[in-house]
Amino acid sequence: MLNCDDMAERLYPYLDRELSPEEMVAVKRHLQDCPPCRRWFVFEENILRYVGECGRKVRAPAELAARIRELRQS
Amino acid sequence: MTKDGVAPGSAGQLSDQAIGYLDALYRMALRLTGNTHDAEDLVQDTYLRAFRSLHQFQPGTNLRAWLFRILMNAFINEYRRQSRRPTNTSLDELDEFSLYHQMQASNSHQISGQPEQEAMTRLTEERVLEALDELPIEFRQVVQLADIEGFSYREIAEVLGIPIGTVMSRLHRGRRRLQRLLVPGAYHSPSLCQGRSSLC
Repeated sequence: MLNCDDMAERLYPYLDRELSPEEMVAVKRHLQDCPPCRRWFVFEENILRYVGECGRKVRAPAELAARIRELRQS
Repeated sequence: MTKDGVAPGSAGQLSDQAIGYLDALYRMALRLTGNTHDAEDLVQDTYLRAFRSLHQFQPGTNLRAWLFRILMNAFINEYRRQSRRPTNTSLDELDEFSLYHQMQASNSHQISGQPEQEAMTRLTEERVLEALDELPIEFRQVVQLADIEGFSYREIAEVLGIPIGTVMSRLHRGRRRLQRLLVPGAYHSPSLCQGRSSLC
């Protein structure tokens, strides 16, 4: 059974879904029973999600796309 | 068939699928080089190398990771030396787990999700990208691959040619540093459960 001290090293692997199924269940169980850890994990998840959304708004210029398509033809 | 949908096919089909990753490759190139001119050159170089090497690509394996690996190799070989971006390679910062546990030891640290959530709503897209660019390149690479492009730890290890443990360590430290840049003072401590949970 996990306690709060166990959660720090599991934070990112949990949010990244990189823990084993057993560990995922154990973390979820702790989060259900521990509002402060739950709030903390939600906050961290929101930051990661927002960073991802901002980062993915960057798009390649149309001129570059055209050049790459030309490369493909040649 | 892989998760990015690459089935055995002709070079033409592979080329078309490769072009589908243009935006992702450009985003990575822009974060690496720090300017649009070099990023475009890097992406063009990447596709040139990829199209020439398509016969070496093994159908059924991960085309996206293969392309990113080509981009990283091209960057290391051709661009990093001449990049105008300062490449801070120092990784000897304060270990973030240590910082975390220091804060655990402090009873004065209070969890306060609301102000941090408010601080997040004030964050602009521009500020997030600036903060990403402020990360040392070793951290920036893994954060970009994981948080913007959604690569798994194993895929990042393959792209960068480093052990998974190193990926996890750099990702952890990169994210902590990024958070410190974006939302200063936002570290939370699970010790603040203060017995409210029977599991604590």
